[in-house]
Amino acid sequence: MRTYVIRRALINIPVIWLVCTMVFFAANVLPGDFVAQRIALQNPISDNPQLQEQQLNAIRKQLGLDKPILERYVLYLRDLLRGDLGESYETRRPAIEGFIEGLPYTIQLSVMVLIIAVITSIPIGVISAIRQDTIIDYVLRVIAITALAAPNFWVATMLLLYIVRYDLWTVELTRHPLLWEDPVASFKLFIIPAIAGGLATGATVMRLLRSTMLEVLRQDYIRTAWAKGLRERVVVMRHALKNALIPVVTVIGLSVATLISGNVVFEYIFNIPGVGNRVLRAINARDVPVLQAFVLLLATSVVFVNLAVDLLYGVLDPRIRYS
Amino acid sequence: MSERPLAIPGTEYIPPSLSDRPWIVRAAVQTGRFFRTKPLGGFGVAVIVLLVFVAIFADQLDRYDPQRVFEVPNPEYDPELAEQALDNPSIRLLHDEDKFTPTVLARNLPPSSEHWLGTDNNGRDLYSRIVWGSQVSLIVGIGASLLAVLVGSVFGIVSAYFGGVVDMVMQRIADAFQAFPPLILLLLMIQVIDTPSLTLITVALGIVGVAPVIRIVRSTVLATREEVYVTAAVTLGASDLRIMFRHILPNIMAPIIVVFTTSIGVYILAEASLSFLGYGDPRKISWGKMVNEGRLLGAAKPLMALWTGLAITVVVLAFNLAGDALRDVLDPRLRGASGRTSF
Repeated sequence: MRTYVIRRALINIPVIWLVCTMVFFAANVLPGDFVAQRIALQNPISDNPQLQEQQLNAIRKQLGLDKPILERYVLYLRDLLRGDLGESYETRRPAIEGFIEGLPYTIQLSVMVLIIAVITSIPIGVISAIRQDTIIDYVLRVIAITALAAPNFWVATMLLLYIVRYDLWTVELTRHPLLWEDPVASFKLFIIPAIAGGLATGATVMRLLRSTMLEVLRQDYIRTAWAKGLRERVVVMRHALKNALIPVVTVIGLSVATLISGNVVFEYIFNIPGVGNRVLRAINARDVPVLQAFVLLLATSVVFVNLAVDLLYGVLDPRIRYS
Repeated sequence: MSERPLAIPGTEYIPPSLSDRPWIVRAAVQTGRFFRTKPLGGFGVAVIVLLVFVAIFADQLDRYDPQRVFEVPNPEYDPELAEQALDNPSIRLLHDEDKFTPTVLARNLPPSSEHWLGTDNNGRDLYSRIVWGSQVSLIVGIGASLLAVLVGSVFGIVSAYFGGVVDMVMQRIADAFQAFPPLILLLLMIQVIDTPSLTLITVALGIVGVAPVIRIVRSTVLATREEVYVTAAVTLGASDLRIMFRHILPNIMAPIIVVFTTSIGVYILAEASLSFLGYGDPRKISWGKMVNEGRLLGAAKPLMALWTGLAITVVVLAFNLAGDALRDVLDPRLRGASGRTSF
């Protein structure tokens, strides 16, 4: 077990290195560099192209952009090994600060999405499986495949537009309190993207849960449980659901990774200053260090979430052994 | 007890097997069977056929040029004032600009017999624009899925067939691609070119989708590699290339086709998300961009976003239904383990 964890963690190192390398080169070949785009616009310098070039070069030198790309790459890796993720061109603050500021918003949104996904999908999946091929089953399944097909940004947009139109509650798009700052206002805002995201994630989980439940319900030990005269609730909840949840945990775990990326769209619609919105801004502003730092941190979290999901299997299903 | 006549083997009537009939009959019978046993999948296929038809004949089916800007009479227009202004331009300065323009853009008209779904924020016919938008969704969805499946299959086969270091390196590269937040990877690739084009978006989406395909193909090949016919081919001295593409590939076509069809909907959604965020091809009419334009109209005019989003939903639903039904027919083992990327 311990060697398994160590080996898996070690395998992740070249993966993370590859991610760093990819994002470094991708970000550095983006057309229109930060210097030309931003700084030249802010202080319109001389009309003399030669002088202009001189000033741009001075700024490039200051940001370390005058060195050849390979040298910059080596310096970047060296700084990474020292735990330095670089500093933003735009704010001249460490890039990681922006990440830490955005993280609470993204985490709150992701947790709310997951809660909605779980509380909708598990009862629906179970009902659909134990009432297989009845009207209820068909209706629930049609709802699930439709939820899977509807674009999440569209669902969020429609919810927002109709909530405002029928004045169900006031949605403030200018202020973004977190739950512990202003619970009511925060809930009113975050619940809309949470429903939109939760439905899509929930639909995936529900479909998977239904099919694993159907499989489990045909097992011998379920027949034994029925034969013992256990009540339906006990058979379904204690014997069947517990065993059907293993693949479901995988999907939920893996969706944690995609949630962060999927939330970009919601953060964009609702102006939430989370990690996703900051990545969009860094891409648009060509703020390369911020972009590199964010992608690196996101990729690392994805890789380790995946490892955690794998380890969770062993807890849920003691038959699984790691070697 | 009466004696039952013994059937002598070979003398009773055996209906000709389906595999002996001409291919066209075979295809017809199998299609009929598909629609009968998988009504939802059949519905999906029907919608896809309709969509392809709409996309190909968009110029026949639209009611107006999708770029044509409609105008309506301006209620504020004052013809007398405008007449006077011709002689005495200074009048213009005293009155509102509205008084002098006879027509205004027909922005956000409600649905009518002239404009079936109304008009958009720039006074263009919404129905015609949705018809034209189908082209983008279809091209990107099918193109990206095809690319991902082609590249992913080759890499997956090579990775599993050779094993060892080749496998190790390829798997780590696939891991790296999967560790990237997909939407961010897409945006990075698209931003490399100044103005994103439809081809670029399709290619970028295809590349992002390669890693999951490699996974699926690799695991199938690992099993197929141990089959007797592969060993036989090796014994006969067949080259690696021949074994991979003449012996293994035809035997793993079912999962490949399944991954191809079940992924199309995901790519259509991803393209819509991209153009919703404003990173689509600016020269093309895309449903995602239209939803965003509808969103910016605000709560008073939700219809534009509603119709366009509904179009995306129906199309993606159709591809998902058809893909799932095809999977059940071709390779039921793949349930749950789809090679889809989620964006």
